[in-house]
Amino acid sequence: MIVKKEPEQFQNYLSDASNYKGFADSVYIPENEPEIIELLKKFNEQKTKVTIAGNGTGLTGARVPEGGVVISLEKLNRIINLSRKEKFVIVQPAVILKDLQDFVEAENLLYPPDPTERNCFIGATVATNASGARSFKYGPTRNYVVGLRIFLPAGEIISIERGKYFANGLKGHLITAPGKEILFTLPDYYMPHTKNAAGYFCRANMDLIDLFIGSEGTLGVITEVKLKLLDLPKSLLSSIAFFKSEENALDFIDEARSISIRASNNQSRSPSHLNASALEFFDQKALNFLRPDFQNIPGKSEAAVWFEQDYNDNDDSIITNWINLLKKYNCDEDSVWLAINKNEREKFHEFRHAVSWKVNEFIAQRNFKKIGTDVAVPAQNFRQFYSWIKKKIELENLDYVAYGHFGDCHPHLNMLPKDEFEYQKAKQIYAEICAEAVRLKGTISAEHGIGKLKRESLLKMHGEENIRKMAALKLIFDPNKILNIGNIFNENFLERV
Amino acid sequence: MKIAVCVSHVPDTAAKINIGSDSKNIDQNGVTFVVNPYDEYAIEEALKTKEKFGGETVAISLGGDANKETLRKALAMGIDNAVLLKDSGFRDSLSVAKALAEEIKTQGAELVFFGKQSVDYDSSIVGQLTAELLGYNCISVVISFSLDGNKITCEREIEGGKEIVETALPALITAQKGLNEPRYASLKGIMAAKKKEIIEKQPVAAQNYIEIISMKKTESKQAGKIVGTDSSAVPELVRLLREEAKVI
Ligand SMILES: Cc1cc2nc3c(=O)[nH]c(=O)nc-3n(C[C@H](O)[C@H](O)[C@H](O)COP(=O)(O)OP(=O)(O)OC[C@H]3O[C@@H](n4cnc5c(N)ncnc54)[C@H](O)[C@@H]3O)c2cc1C
Repeated sequence: MIVKKEPEQFQNYLSDASNYKGFADSVYIPENEPEIIELLKKFNEQKTKVTIAGNGTGLTGARVPEGGVVISLEKLNRIINLSRKEKFVIVQPAVILKDLQDFVEAENLLYPPDPTERNCFIGATVATNASGARSFKYGPTRNYVVGLRIFLPAGEIISIERGKYFANGLKGHLITAPGKEILFTLPDYYMPHTKNAAGYFCRANMDLIDLFIGSEGTLGVITEVKLKLLDLPKSLLSSIAFFKSEENALDFIDEARSISIRASNNQSRSPSHLNASALEFFDQKALNFLRPDFQNIPGKSEAAVWFEQDYNDNDDSIITNWINLLKKYNCDEDSVWLAINKNEREKFHEFRHAVSWKVNEFIAQRNFKKIGTDVAVPAQNFRQFYSWIKKKIELENLDYVAYGHFGDCHPHLNMLPKDEFEYQKAKQIYAEICAEAVRLKGTISAEHGIGKLKRESLLKMHGEENIRKMAALKLIFDPNKILNIGNIFNENFLERV
Repeated sequence: MKIAVCVSHVPDTAAKINIGSDSKNIDQNGVTFVVNPYDEYAIEEALKTKEKFGGETVAISLGGDANKETLRKALAMGIDNAVLLKDSGFRDSLSVAKALAEEIKTQGAELVFFGKQSVDYDSSIVGQLTAELLGYNCISVVISFSLDGNKITCEREIEGGKEIVETALPALITAQKGLNEPRYASLKGIMAAKKKEIIEKQPVAAQNYIEIISMKKTESKQAGKIVGTDSSAVPELVRLLREEAKVI
């Protein structure tokens, strides 16, 4: 095990991609499960705070310690077992998502969850219930987690497979490896019918594995993950279309979204039907942000959509269907890029990744913290919501870029403050956007989670009473209050239970 | 003006290459092939030149049926016509150049673009040989190209600097990274490319002066050894460096 005690050796563990900064006494890098247990037991007895580090690409400060020690799982990075026949893979938590995807693809299998940043640990994507472009068709990480091994702070182990342990109404019951019974009550707050990563997943009679997915490391340390895989589709259409107006692009997405949802729900539909797996949007400001690196972006375009569809037969009518829909919204066929092979598909992925990445870089250079929305609302409210946000920011004269998973009605509107005054203003607008999303029955975080940066918004979304119930739930698993303290809710809530 | 661009179909540089059982070829199993990356700059420059001055573009590739994929990509990017000089055996650079030169002559192309090298055999010479066979002017490793009437001005990369070179048509240019940003195929281009025919021809025969006797992989490096992570490991490290590695 590597132990880093000198602050200059572990600065990189004190922040994440949001640029939120923290502090710690030391960093531990265990090499196996017994070492993790030993550390947890020790710190649990000492009541020393422990923060679990993934690969640090999080956007909410979730892996940033506020005192105590950091345990980084980076050495637990083995792919343990892949079953081609039963279509699953078992991995240690620090396997990099991109590596896993390449690995299963070589076996003609697909692991669909694809957060834009693929340099993240699988364990962390489970802890945050990450999702991405393809979640439009395939859903978030949660849908693929079929087994977890979790270490509790006292050193006990929970091994849980999907489909085995359910809540009885709101009553939960689990047994740990040494045989200790854990009894708990689930809070019953409203869970939006959108993609959602805001607080614990709680629902009457739920499969209890879902409680740990998206719990941001507050209930236990994930040391092994079993993931479900799909057959790799034979063909993938990947395309970036440039539109003359934002209105055209948004209308295009609206129609593609409803056709695709209908096609997915109605399996009998002809296989040549248009059925997007991803619908990603870029506004003009996002395109301008990208132009220095992508000089081929057509000069006159005011918005773009990156769409993908996977399919199993070699049927050109799918392309024709897309062309017709593009034409309907005034998109000229010459301004539609199409990836011919995997290399080019990767470049399109990079096009999307570059916007997020450049925004984070902009923020870090100015020493602010990220102020990008992660809100999502139900489809019927989306257009109205999106134009409301844009107007609001423009009225305040703030610079911003807008892009995101618009198939899922999930806009990343990132404000780009130039100075402290604008930063404060942006924070205020951010809070108002979250409040409006909640009013429209949406979520304040569809994929990044709450971490430390979004606690206030979560408090507004669920109210104090429910946050207290979440804190009570955490205390059942972590009575000594050591694990990932400060994630999801403020530490104070653990005192007031 | 007729503009030709010569393209090769090569293993993806990210592919893991194994040597075939005859040890004279690579084992193509599981290897994806792509358009030679430098040729993409050549295609883009041909298209830009045509867009500016008009004319007709043709892509030429020498090889087996698999090369059609690369020619399709050229067509999808916007090249007008494609010719496959169908051949399956090994040809050395001069023999390839002879076949290409013959076809360029048949096409009557006055301006020809090549990639500066093909990333399979990396000989970096086919363009220059072809120019010589055709009696065309040649500028290689070009990072900027402009045409004004009959006059061509290019910037080319040389060790530690740049060189500006002028010449006149007919000419052959070999493209270096940085010359332009190759476009993606457009949806329209893809549909159009599907309808276009790739013309297959028999290349002229030519003698090989080079024979591949055998291919060998470079020996992979041995895994490193971690002696320890703190100062207590120093004596052992010194001992190993002295006795095993014999470097101190
Ligand atoms: C450019 C960019 C684009 C992004 N796009 C997306 C996107 O499209 N969708 C999306 O969902 N996210 C996105 N993210 C956010 C981020 O990539 C995800 O949140 C990812 O899951 C974090 O992985 P990580 O390994 O970096 O984790 P970290 O940031 O290190 O940690 C995240 C959280 O997981 C906890 N954790 C890590 N490992 C474990 C474990 N084994 N057990 C328990 N808890 C653990 C940590 O304590 C922390 O709370 C993006 C980030 C960037 C920088």
